[in-house]
This record gives sequence, C-alpha cells and structure tokens, in this order.
Amino acid sequence: MPFYEKSEDWLHHSSLLLAARPSTTRITTNYHLSPVRRTPKDATPEQIAEDAKKGMRGHLVITTFDPKSGASLKYKTSKAQEVGRLVQMLGTLAGRAAGKVEETRENKEEGADVEMTEAGGEKGESAGVESGVATPAVVQQPPQAGGGGGGGKGKKKKGKR
Amino acid sequence: MSKHLSQDEFFTALTALFTTQKQTQKGTVLLSQKRFSYDESAKETPEKQEDDDPLASLSTRLPPAPIIIRATNAKSKDHRKEGRKVKLSTLVQPDELDAFYVRYAEVCKAGMSGLKPRDRTKRKAKEKARRKMKAQA
Repeated sequence: MPFYEKSEDWLHHSSLLLAARPSTTRITTNYHLSPVRRTPKDATPEQIAEDAKKGMRGHLVITTFDPKSGASLKYKTSKAQEVGRLVQMLGTLAGRAAGKVEETRENKEEGADVEMTEAGGEKGESAGVESGVATPAVVQQPPQAGGGGGGGKGKKKKGKR
Repeated sequence: MSKHLSQDEFFTALTALFTTQKQTQKGTVLLSQKRFSYDESAKETPEKQEDDDPLASLSTRLPPAPIIIRATNAKSKDHRKEGRKVKLSTLVQPDELDAFYVRYAEVCKAGMSGLKPRDRTKRKAKEKARRKMKAQA
C-alpha cells in the first residue's frame, strides 16, 4: 500500500495496474475536511470559539485499488493547485478504463486502411474503364500514354502484394 | 439501489454535497470511478483470459464501456436510517468523457476549498524587493 511522493508516479503505476486489470480496478478520491484542532469535549465556550476561528483543513487522498490482487496505490495532497491536474489524470485513466484511447487509435488505423483500399479500388476501376476504352488502340504498348491507366493498375496491384 | 442520475443532476447534487460539507466544516466527500461492467459478458471475458495468460489482456483490445462515477458523503449505518447518507452515481459514455471531466474538474476545484491555496508570499516579497531596487535606481 504505497503512498507516492509525486502524482506523476501515481499516475504511471495506476495506468499499469489499470492496463493489467481494467474491469476490476477502481479509483477513489477522498476529500476529507476536519478542524485544525480537535476541540475537547469539556472545552469552555472560549476555547470552542478559538478553535472555530482556526478554521478547517482539507486533505485529498487518491487511491487506485484492485480488489482482485489487493493492490492499492495512493497519493495524498493538501494543495489546492493540484486538484485540477489530478482530475485531469483521473480523466485520462477513465479514458483508458473505458477502452477509449485504444479504440480511437485503432479506428484511425482502420479508417486509413479503408480509405486507402477504397481509393485504390476506385483508381483501379477508373483505370479499367479507361483501359477498356483505350485497349483497341494500344494493346501492345502498355507504357504509352493511352494504356498508362491499365498498366499502372497492374503495377500497383503487384506492388501491394 | 438508486438509479443512475443524469450528468446534470449528478453535478448539481455533487455541488450540494460539497456545500453542506463546507457549512458543517467537517466530513468527507468520497468519489469513485470504475469501468462499468455490470453486464456479465463484459465482466467475464477479460478475467478468463487473464487466468490463462497474464499478458492476454494487454494484447487483446478492451471493448469500450461506460465509466461509472459514484459520490457519497461516507456516512455510517445510523445516518443511513435517518436519511442523511447521500449516494450518487452517474454513467459516462466513452465519447462523453472529455466534456464530463472538464465540468468535473470545475466542480471539484470549487468544492475542495479547504485545501491550502498556492503560497504566493515569497513571490510577492521578491516583487517588492525588485520595486524597491528600481525606485532606488
């Protein structure tokens, strides 16, 4: 049950734990508020007023816990300036837990693949049409301008394979 | 078990939770987030793979699932009977996560006012010293 000194370390190890066990790992954020000094039960009204003046102190503890392995990674802070950054970290971890980051990346790859094949197919088809029109004239001279489309198509396919 | 709130309802309820905590000057706000895998099929498949091969879950792609965000004031059983225990939960779909966390950060920043603000006394002292130097020169 380690407490990490830096929030970056906590984020790193949490993301590793989350990658290993995405479905069971949970992240809890505990914001606790308590008086600066605990007032004793037999305190005089003056003492109570004094303690009330001192105000309260807040603490923030972030825990990544996986019930299956029992791993628990913690980070504790009392600085207000860190809240925004920590919530941002929670957001990135949530994205990973939701399977969002990987999914978008693969979607992009798939999209690129689909576009490429589609583009290739269209070119092939158009080339086929062109060559179909052009073939009677230049069947035996594929490198020339008229049959260029047909020749290009064949070459492209070989290159892909 | 209460039903999940919508995101707007969740944020208003969470803000209310923070304000009551501020007023009483003590207490806890406990937030938790987890991959929502109530669906048995979504829950079982990755774990089975894990048992066979510990690295299987790394190679297989994680199917997208919503994140469940819970918030509570961590009150005990006695308070639950009196109806003072507050439990909130909301589901966030993967494509809504970014927008949700922007609002979440705002609510948390506003709510967690008991934390220490950034210490600016040193910087102010430096600026004062600089101004004095300029005035003298």
